[in-house]
Amino acid sequence: MTEKMMGGAGASRTSYQRYPRVRIREMKDDYLKFELRDTDASMANALRRVMLAEVPTIAIDLVEIEANSSVLNDEFIAHRLGLIPLTSDDAMSMRFSRDCDACDGDGQCEFCSVEFFLSVRCDSDQTLDVTSADLQSTNPRVCPVDVAANALSSAADGYDSAEQKGIIIVKLRRGQELRLRAIARKGIGKDHAKWSPAATVTFMYEPQIHINEDLMETLTLEEKRSWVESSPTKVFGIDPNTQQVVVVDAEAYTYDDEVIKKAEAMGKPGLIEIYPKEDSFIFTVESTGAIKASQLVINAIDILKQKLDAVRLQDEESDMKELTSHLGNL
Amino acid sequence: MGATSKSDFQALQELFRPHIESFDYFLDEGLEKAFLSIRPIEISDPHAGIKLRVSLEKPQLLPPMREGRLSEPLFPHECRQARISYKGDFRALVCFQYDEGVIVRESINFGHLPIMLKSKLCHLRGADPQKLVAHKEEATEMGGYFICNGLERLVRLLIIQKQNYPMSMVRKSFRNRGPGYSDKAVVMRCVREDQSSVTLKLYYLENGSARLGFWIRGREFLLPVGIVLKALVDTNDHEIFVSLTCCYNDRYQREKGAVATQLIGERAQIILDEVRDLSLWTRSQCLKHIGEYFRPAMDGFETESHTTVAEAVLRDYIFVHLSSNHDKFNLLIFLLQKLYALVDQTAAPDNPDALQNQEILLPGHLITIYLKEKLQDWLKKSKRQLLDETAKKEKNIDIKNLTQVKKFFSRSSSTIGRAIESMLKIGRLNTASGLDLPQREGMTIQAERLNFFRYLSHFRSVHRGASFAKMRTTSVRKLLPESWGFLCPVNTPDGEPCGLLNHMTCACRVASFYDSEGRVKDFLKIRMSILSVLVGIGMTPLLPKLERAGPPEVLHVLLDGCVVGSISSVKIEEAVAHIRSLKLSGICGIPEDLEVGYVPLSFGGAYPGLYMFTNSSRFIRPVRNLIQVTNGSNNIELIGPFEQAFMEIRCPDGGNGGRREFFPATHEEIHPTAILSVVANLTPWSDHNQSPRNMYQCQMAKQTMGFSAQALQYRADLKSYHLQTPQSPIVRTASYSKYCMDEFPTGTNAIVAVLAYTGYDMEDAMILNKSSVDRGLCRGHIYQTESIDLANKHEKEDRLLEIFARSNDRKLKSSIDSDGLPYVGQTIHPSEPLYSTYNTLTSFTKPTLLKGSEDVIIDYVAVDGTGSKNYMQKVNIRTRRTRNPIIGDKFSSRHGQKGVCSQMWPDVDMPFSAVTGMRPDLIINPHAFPSRMTIGMLLESIAAKGGSLHGKFVDATPFSRSVCNADEDKPSKSSSVVDELGPMLTSYGFNYHGVEVLYSGVYGTELTCEIFIGPVYYQRLRHMVSDKFQVRSTGTVDQITRQPIGGRKRGGGIRFGEMERDAILAHGAAYLLHDRLHSCSDYHIADVCSYCGSVLTATVIQPQKRSVREIHGLPPARTPKNYICQSCKTGKGMETVAMPYVFKYLAAELAAMNIKMELQLSNQAGSCT
Repeated sequence: MTEKMMGGAGASRTSYQRYPRVRIREMKDDYLKFELRDTDASMANALRRVMLAEVPTIAIDLVEIEANSSVLNDEFIAHRLGLIPLTSDDAMSMRFSRDCDACDGDGQCEFCSVEFFLSVRCDSDQTLDVTSADLQSTNPRVCPVDVAANALSSAADGYDSAEQKGIIIVKLRRGQELRLRAIARKGIGKDHAKWSPAATVTFMYEPQIHINEDLMETLTLEEKRSWVESSPTKVFGIDPNTQQVVVVDAEAYTYDDEVIKKAEAMGKPGLIEIYPKEDSFIFTVESTGAIKASQLVINAIDILKQKLDAVRLQDEESDMKELTSHLGNL
Repeated sequence: MGATSKSDFQALQELFRPHIESFDYFLDEGLEKAFLSIRPIEISDPHAGIKLRVSLEKPQLLPPMREGRLSEPLFPHECRQARISYKGDFRALVCFQYDEGVIVRESINFGHLPIMLKSKLCHLRGADPQKLVAHKEEATEMGGYFICNGLERLVRLLIIQKQNYPMSMVRKSFRNRGPGYSDKAVVMRCVREDQSSVTLKLYYLENGSARLGFWIRGREFLLPVGIVLKALVDTNDHEIFVSLTCCYNDRYQREKGAVATQLIGERAQIILDEVRDLSLWTRSQCLKHIGEYFRPAMDGFETESHTTVAEAVLRDYIFVHLSSNHDKFNLLIFLLQKLYALVDQTAAPDNPDALQNQEILLPGHLITIYLKEKLQDWLKKSKRQLLDETAKKEKNIDIKNLTQVKKFFSRSSSTIGRAIESMLKIGRLNTASGLDLPQREGMTIQAERLNFFRYLSHFRSVHRGASFAKMRTTSVRKLLPESWGFLCPVNTPDGEPCGLLNHMTCACRVASFYDSEGRVKDFLKIRMSILSVLVGIGMTPLLPKLERAGPPEVLHVLLDGCVVGSISSVKIEEAVAHIRSLKLSGICGIPEDLEVGYVPLSFGGAYPGLYMFTNSSRFIRPVRNLIQVTNGSNNIELIGPFEQAFMEIRCPDGGNGGRREFFPATHEEIHPTAILSVVANLTPWSDHNQSPRNMYQCQMAKQTMGFSAQALQYRADLKSYHLQTPQSPIVRTASYSKYCMDEFPTGTNAIVAVLAYTGYDMEDAMILNKSSVDRGLCRGHIYQTESIDLANKHEKEDRLLEIFARSNDRKLKSSIDSDGLPYVGQTIHPSEPLYSTYNTLTSFTKPTLLKGSEDVIIDYVAVDGTGSKNYMQKVNIRTRRTRNPIIGDKFSSRHGQKGVCSQMWPDVDMPFSAVTGMRPDLIINPHAFPSRMTIGMLLESIAAKGGSLHGKFVDATPFSRSVCNADEDKPSKSSSVVDELGPMLTSYGFNYHGVEVLYSGVYGTELTCEIFIGPVYYQRLRHMVSDKFQVRSTGTVDQITRQPIGGRKRGGGIRFGEMERDAILAHGAAYLLHDRLHSCSDYHIADVCSYCGSVLTATVIQPQKRSVREIHGLPPARTPKNYICQSCKTGKGMETVAMPYVFKYLAAELAAMNIKMELQLSNQAGSCT
């Protein structure tokens, strides 16, 4: 799967346009590993930054507490509620409540907010866990991710997921009660970490490893072995047949220079040369579950496009006012 | 988490034992003993010719009960909430006896005595965690404090002179006693059985004689020692001479341990001559002489003979710890010998600042002696008043009428309870005699529950005395080797109380009145059995007729300050070893905490002898006895600071500490961490840090926002800090789990990267990751409780004056409930109503507004329903303020590395690891390390990284390498901690030294250096900008000077002082200076009369109608014709001059003292027009 990405270039100037390639290595709902080639670090990092901080999700933002006799105070509970990831597949199409024309952002409108209710009271002698499963959503498409996952898995194979309790909000003992109304809104991770859809986004430069085979042959097997062992990650190995040093997993290399230092210490400088490829990146994306990891990348590219559009707009029309208004909308 | 049992917190309870045990003893026996020692008073009415004898007996203290309903117990939690005291009824029998008639006993109420929590009278005594929680206490509640008006107060442990030990001292102030006095004396603090003490000083006079000095009610009395010797026992000059000089022998002159010189004979002669010069020959003559001398000073002996007075003086003031006069005589002889050894420099003076010669003042003992004094005063005062009353003409009281007398005595009896309570409340001893204590103020402190460390430290701290704080000399503050193992060398604050306020080590205990089975020790029995053991091992008992000798031939044996005999110096070593073995095995009635202070013979060292102490309130600590290893499992011996100085105790590292063969170590430390206090023990790898850093950590641990209390919901502390999501540290010491610190954690494991990033981490600033803060890193709250007692406001009025009520104002309804109190959970903004009251007199409802500049949330409202019948008068409102980390808040690691948050940096801009994708929570600058050398922090980071990867807590107990394990000899002895931690990291694919390759969050490119990154336990300190920031543009000015006011609370400015002025001047920034000191301060345009030069004489006349043309942008020009000069009677010379308003004020002040100030106005260069 390849996707064309933006290369900002004016028609009149020399074209620096490149056609980045994406190759997906591994894809799960909440995990994605892909290669990004033929572009430079600025583009890769921009993508990383957008995924972390600017892809919108939905999270609880306003909590009205009706009754709270639990041991945790109101702010604590509100904070915990905010951090519960909600399924946010509709987030891209939703409105920010500050831009919403239909309402003034008080959660009365379906375009910008989703209402949740929670009402739990403990009447038994056992401690009652209030979990994300107790949150009643008014919009079935927006609910805590673990609840959604449970619904899906139990629907799929009838597997009883009683053990999966959900995210604990607070524990209640006999007679304690928690009643509240919460409003979830669209937001981005830049404003508050609760809106960040990504647990981790990172990329590494693909390493290029050149072993000086001639020099390597001067080593004894024992020396080779100790040299291979010097790397904390398993990058090199010894071929059991030829007893030659081979690269087992180049991407396991963390650029820690341990093997280079080791080679120098052994008196064989230049035994190995490792360079990061300047235009090749391996991304690892882990999602919180709010949106699928693959969707997260696509959304991020969309947002990046919009941002670049804004830059181009400035280039073509050089209208500062329009630019700022455009940027402000993002 | 399973149910907690009592034994879980045993180690914690142990730390508080000295407080509780001493109070228990006060309840069990101390009170009784104090009553027995109170002398009955005799009132004789000259008119009626009748004698009334009043004495006290059978004190009775009851557990705290509710007021009015005596059957219901009062619990500490209720006292805290209702701001009352946790105290029990105190009654005693007062016995009245007319002449020799029948004794009539009357039970009189002496008010209430505060009861220490968890003492024998406390309802929570022996309660298990479940019961404690049911009573709304902490599950770990340790007690040891009192509750006075809802505040928790404890008695400060004070260091005082060791009891019943004669200490030779050299002090310049001794010379001021009078002409002929030298600077040398032997001082002995003698303690009676009821804990009251009298300090006796034996001064050396330049002529060779000595004087015995002691204080009676604020005055020092000095007696020639010969008179006292003669008055004590029937003796003759020869006997005194022999017993004084017996310690000198020609044979041992210059030998090791010879303390006496040949001068002693002459001195004995001088002492005897002194008595002869007063023509006192016999004992009765001496007694009469003393009696005559002391009659005015002694109370209640008006009718007695001189001899009786003298006997009372000898009994009550001279060697009060001894009862027999023979013992006193022998002790005085011993003191004289020691004094002469000091003078001849054959024995060194004892250091009063060394722990060797010190012990501790415990709460129970303080209360016992204070109560005794108060009761005595009360008896005396009652007697005086009764006599005054009967002497009056009206004859209100007839002394013969017992009912009237009883009534009279019970009238003022409750002052006793009040006096004790007020002493605990404010910490001041209200006493005329001084109680032989070093200070009168600051006896109690508040047990702040800011966090658990601070709370705990209050109970483990010992103070050297307030009087030393003001002293210029620093010798008292020195850390002396004598305090090894007893006082923590690390945990002392820096600044004013440095070295004076110390903390007991975690292993240090205090000898108590209770044996290991919890029975009160029978000291008489103990002493008898020790004596029999001593005699059994070759001690020669001191008998009058026996020929005596002195060191070095024999050593004197003192048991609790009583000379019991002497033992040959050849046999002494063996004897000491024997006593130690008996002490360990616990047979023969030798207590386990007996102090066997064997001072060996030396050349000019400490005065030799065998000093044994059984008394309580000594410091003790456990060490392992090496000799005793073979027989029996118990080889843990309790030793005191006195004996420790002369013992050979080795470190458990397997070495011999450079000892020679003939001085083998007899004892061994149990663990090296025993020299550290509890708080110092919690610093991981403190042995790898520079020592001041550990001191800083001990201070900062006590300022940390942590989990202050688990029962926070039920507490009513004035202010408490609370961390929302604390964590258990990954790297911890053995003490952490021993003292259950997980119950009260104080910090967060933050991922710390050490790099210079963005420049915002310069100079100990630190960058926090904004997303981490969003997710709840170091979030906290401040809880404050306001107690409102409407009845208290109008104390004079009997009836209800104010009640809580709400007016019908609609605005109030949103924030105040119908009962006049706020809604729980409500946010209240500054200057919004907090509660409202209705005044029944004026029928006016007045809301009380919230003070401060921060929003608060009402957390809890409690109403005390016990006070008034119908209306609530007493209310506690607890408010909560959220304190999320913001720029300017203070944080610190556990290694004295504090820093202020300078930026909340966006997550995306933080450097990240390509392998794990981790971004740090916190960035600190590498410059924080080289000069501070906190290697422990680096180790913690590596260890925590390994531990978190491995899923295990890492043990970071300091000095663990100094413990030699006999079974497994570690081959890796030379290797460092890193060599243990490094391989753990490599096994998980991380760098051996804890560094990682990080990429810039802004550019996505690799950072030049590998970055040291790992989890470090960070504490949030209570110093927050929200409490400290001060800003002002315009605002209130001072009424008189018109300068801006000071003070953060009032919205004042920050003073631009002299030094600041100097700095600006040095820069030549004159305009800035003018702006700061004049334009922005009290800029004033004054009207000055140029004729008379006065600033004060201008007066306004009616402004003229003519309108002044205004120039845009300038203030309207003033016409000088508006003013005229009062003295010149003309407005012609009026000029306007800009000046500071205070200058005008100065002119006015000067005018008030008839000084005229004239201004000469000119328009020349330099003056601005």
